[in-house]
Amino acid sequence: MSKEKIVINPEFWDIIPQDYRDLVDHATYGKTDRGWKDVGSSTELIAEHSLCAGCPESIAFRHIMASIPAPEDTVMVGSTGCTSLVFPMVAVQNIHSLFGNQNAIATGLKRALAYRFPNQTKDVIVLAGDGATVDIGLDMTLQSWFRQEKFTTICFDNELYANTGGQESGLMQKGFVAKMAPQGKKFEKVRLPEIARESGCAYVAVLTTSKPSLVERVVKQAVLIAREIGPTYLQIYTPCILEIGKQSMEGLQEMRDSESAGERFKFREFITPEAQAFIDDMNAKKKADKLAASANN
Amino acid sequence: MYYVAEINEEACVANKGCRLCIMYCPEANCIMMNDEKKVAFVVESRCKGCELCVVVCDAAKHKAITMQDR
Repeated sequence: MSKEKIVINPEFWDIIPQDYRDLVDHATYGKTDRGWKDVGSSTELIAEHSLCAGCPESIAFRHIMASIPAPEDTVMVGSTGCTSLVFPMVAVQNIHSLFGNQNAIATGLKRALAYRFPNQTKDVIVLAGDGATVDIGLDMTLQSWFRQEKFTTICFDNELYANTGGQESGLMQKGFVAKMAPQGKKFEKVRLPEIARESGCAYVAVLTTSKPSLVERVVKQAVLIAREIGPTYLQIYTPCILEIGKQSMEGLQEMRDSESAGERFKFREFITPEAQAFIDDMNAKKKADKLAASANN
Repeated sequence: MYYVAEINEEACVANKGCRLCIMYCPEANCIMMNDEKKVAFVVESRCKGCELCVVVCDAAKHKAITMQDR
């Protein structure tokens, strides 16, 4: 879909809701250099969601929506959880799947899009919580990586089932006591990034959302590598401030603490040599274009 | 009564390139740039009063944002 295919009849322009008109006039569809720098001076592709005040997941959502390289040609697949509360307010095509089968749906979707639009580039991005990615949907997640399906999987890791009151999840850290897990977790946090690398992901990154420029770089790389080379996986720490007993303004500090040296969300990425060559090539091309543009001026 | 953030235009340093509150606000389209005045402003109907913007602004010693009862 390109932006030109949706044109509002001028007769109806005055009864179109203001939010929709803002999206038509001020959103960043179709811009190749879109990024978090546009936030604040353009209309974002997400609006008035129903997440809690100060929720770090909504910060992550904003940064990701600002970083997607081609939102008009992207379909997002969500799953049950707090993310499914946000998807109705996202101005990108999206599908709500059942709990856990989001990677299976994305597989079919990616293949159908390639068949239906053979001459266009279509991105598929799976965005789900840790329960859907690692516990209930682990089978579908891993199988899609084994099959080398070309789409991006993003996991919002809040280390427990926050939406239903704080049950233990596979990504919860060892010994953590939650409201519905009073004895504390007895096993280690599942090392899904390492599993993803071994399962055939071309690019894997673990990060928090405390640095928008980093989120932008990682999301763009993940989507572009998934277009050309193979599956990619991002694990983003989005703590649930209610379940870990923090105030609404403390989420950012919690993320910064958990990404300091030696902590579990210290930034790390795994990239295959093939994907690295692709990224280097792309960066070199971008640099050459910039040089040519400045020479012309 | 609502509890919302308010930006002091004189203390705001958005004209020097600061975008801290805009970057870290969890609400979309809530803190925006006034491109003419080069200051940030709060769309009050979207503010949920989480105070995250106050925390990041105070940490950078700009102290341009306060919380108000409306």
